[in-house]
Amino acid sequence: MLTLLKNGKIYDPARGKDGVIQDIYIRDGRIVNKPSDTEKISRTYDLAGKVVMAGAIDMHSHIGGGKINIARMMLPEFQETRKYSEPEAHICTPNCSHDATPNTTDTGFRYIEMGYTAAFEPAIMPINARQAHLEMADTPMIDKGGYAMLGSDDYFLRMLAAKKDQKSINDYVAWILHATQAIGIKVVNPGGISAFKFNQRKLDLDENHSYYHISPREILKSLSTAVHELGIAKPLHVHCNNLGAAGNFETTLNTMGASDGLPMHLTHIQFHSYGTEGDKKFSSAAAQISEALNKNKHITADVGQILFGQTVTASGDSMMQHLNAKHANPKKSVIMDIECDAGCGVVPFKYRDQNYVNALQWAIGLEIFLSAEDPWRIFLTTDHPNGAPFTSYPHLIRLLMDKSFRNEAFAKLNLDAQAMSNLTSIDREYSLYEIAIMTRAGAANLVGLHDRGHLGVGGGADITVYTDQLDREAMFSKPDYVFKDGELVVKDGKVVKVTWGATHTAKPAFDISVEKDLKDYFDKYHTIQLDNFKISDDEISNDGRGSVIVHENKQPSH
Amino acid sequence: MNALTFTQKITLQHQLNCAALTPNNLANKSITEIASILLGYGKSQLRVDEVFEITGNDAQNIYFKNSSNKLDYLGANMATGCMHIEGNAGAYLGYNLKQGEIHCHGNTEAFAACNMVAGLLKVDGNTGDFLGGASSGLRKGMRGGTVIVKGNAGDRVGDQMRRGLILVEGNVGAYCGSRMIAGTIGVLGDVGGYAGFNMKHGTLLFSKLPKLHATIKDCGTHTLPFLHLLFKSFVPFKTKFSDIKTQRVQRFVGDVACNGNGEILFLSPSQ
Repeated sequence: MLTLLKNGKIYDPARGKDGVIQDIYIRDGRIVNKPSDTEKISRTYDLAGKVVMAGAIDMHSHIGGGKINIARMMLPEFQETRKYSEPEAHICTPNCSHDATPNTTDTGFRYIEMGYTAAFEPAIMPINARQAHLEMADTPMIDKGGYAMLGSDDYFLRMLAAKKDQKSINDYVAWILHATQAIGIKVVNPGGISAFKFNQRKLDLDENHSYYHISPREILKSLSTAVHELGIAKPLHVHCNNLGAAGNFETTLNTMGASDGLPMHLTHIQFHSYGTEGDKKFSSAAAQISEALNKNKHITADVGQILFGQTVTASGDSMMQHLNAKHANPKKSVIMDIECDAGCGVVPFKYRDQNYVNALQWAIGLEIFLSAEDPWRIFLTTDHPNGAPFTSYPHLIRLLMDKSFRNEAFAKLNLDAQAMSNLTSIDREYSLYEIAIMTRAGAANLVGLHDRGHLGVGGGADITVYTDQLDREAMFSKPDYVFKDGELVVKDGKVVKVTWGATHTAKPAFDISVEKDLKDYFDKYHTIQLDNFKISDDEISNDGRGSVIVHENKQPSH
Repeated sequence: MNALTFTQKITLQHQLNCAALTPNNLANKSITEIASILLGYGKSQLRVDEVFEITGNDAQNIYFKNSSNKLDYLGANMATGCMHIEGNAGAYLGYNLKQGEIHCHGNTEAFAACNMVAGLLKVDGNTGDFLGGASSGLRKGMRGGTVIVKGNAGDRVGDQMRRGLILVEGNVGAYCGSRMIAGTIGVLGDVGGYAGFNMKHGTLLFSKLPKLHATIKDCGTHTLPFLHLLFKSFVPFKTKFSDIKTQRVQRFVGDVACNGNGEILFLSPSQ
């Protein structure tokens, strides 16, 4: 079966195409060369005047794993506002769906309806990986994958404290990637979650863990080296220390140097760009952060923009969430340690434009977006659901592409916050090409999806077609067509066919003898057996819907 | 005007959601209209007349006869009128009750008076766990009104209770008044373990002293004249609490584990 997308205006930064009119041929879910004239074309879509991009990729979105279930269950208030006819609706279950944390079905549908065809869960705790994959397996429409959290992993910290050589650490990291079916490695508050268990309430980059006597800097150095030497595409995904604390920008700047020039990705960097200037001792350090970001070519970042409204913050950073719990709105929180290796903190937040700190956070995120020079190294996220739900991406895109819209929104903010931000002095407006880099080509390149995020021959036919509108929010909220693996799944912003995406993974080679020591450790300390800890491909593909795609080791081309 | 009466005529296999059958919802509706209302029944729905014989026309006065513990959410969100349940009731009896009176002659399941705001709920039989508690995920339970239980109540009576009065003539289970924010709970029978667990404020009034956990502190025996006024306020409810004459109590304060200042008053047996 051959499908032709005719006369579309192609935005494909991976192939350098900026608004080129071109035809795309799709066969068996792949983009193919123009076939011979004798071949029959089964379906033709005339896309004259339409904008065509690859399916968007959200490289950081909390869509699986236990903490989102907690977030779903902890806000019956949301249910009340829905005015459901059934009174059971006041009882929240993991299947409850509110705007901030949709259930798995809604997650898949809302993503594909915006033209997103893949999303990556950035905080898969190895022991909870099975739960995360089960949830993602239940998320229709989109491709998915995840990053395994190692920064406070007890076995890893023991190795580091025992000064094990880099090769053993590499083997363990690779083993974790295999065992958890992840595509990257994440560090959340390096060492901090473990330190929290030893009653430390704060951990800076060069401060020692009170029990293991290692610093976050050593953790970052070791893991970024491991990720680099294993040759996986996704650089170490780093959630820095001191999330959300005023004055944390210095930690963030120092963190950029922690990998000695090896690639690192600093995630939701907006939450790590706060200074202490001004009467309220809270200011924007977006200028320093974006300057450093522009200078340090080995660093990539996603923003984690906040947008106003009710949401639930869910993080593995139990240490900082414990500190933030006093700002919870509604007043409740779940902060917990999980086994020896991690923790979790779920705190509902209501970001308000009249609140000084919230208003400035909003401005800081946008300042970073607009001051980052290289769109290949900055990514569009709201750290769903922490800054805002992913459903607000079209609004965020409009803020980036439309200066007058942005300035109007800015004028409504808390006045003290306005005085502390230079946002209105920035004239930049993102182009469609740059948006396509941030949400497609760049993201695919970063995560290491070689056949996604572009419209070149051989690529997976994940394609989104928009009508070019001046109101970019309207444009990006409702694509005309979305194709997933060559099939038409969304028409006029509504799902017309339910499909199931694949799970993307990276599986670098390693020395299997790493399991010898690990087995002893599991027998002694873990809650399950080593063999049960590992997730096989069959577990993901056995339900007949999912499948595992392994991406070959290859350094990103860009 | 005859009281609107629902007589259960079939045996139910699943829980039936009766939230629609309240005075507010049924006011000015004909019997035919009422008969065609759909009620949630497990995964499916049943018409009201498939389950109940319907008679009468006064929706301000609703009777349930031959009722069973499969009838959930009786009197949910009720804001006016009276409801008499001649038989048992299911879970969430009087859920979010805003005004009016509910009288259940039999037993009820868990979560009676959940999220209750005001009004009066009387249960002649026994009731389940989480009497006067909160919907899961909410941080405030019952916010006002009065609950009278003649029989026994289960665990977690008044969990996260914010305001109001619960009087139980029988026994209560463990964790009575747990996480209580304010309000009053009186119990004449036996009380299970961990009464006042994580209690912040409020009053637990016991006539039998349970085994209290370590973070509830004994503050000695006192004569508290306000008890006279408290008991006087109980009189309209015609409970055995009206027989109490003493103002002499042993007072405990807790839960110290969460800096709580709730009080447990143990009525002295001597008088």
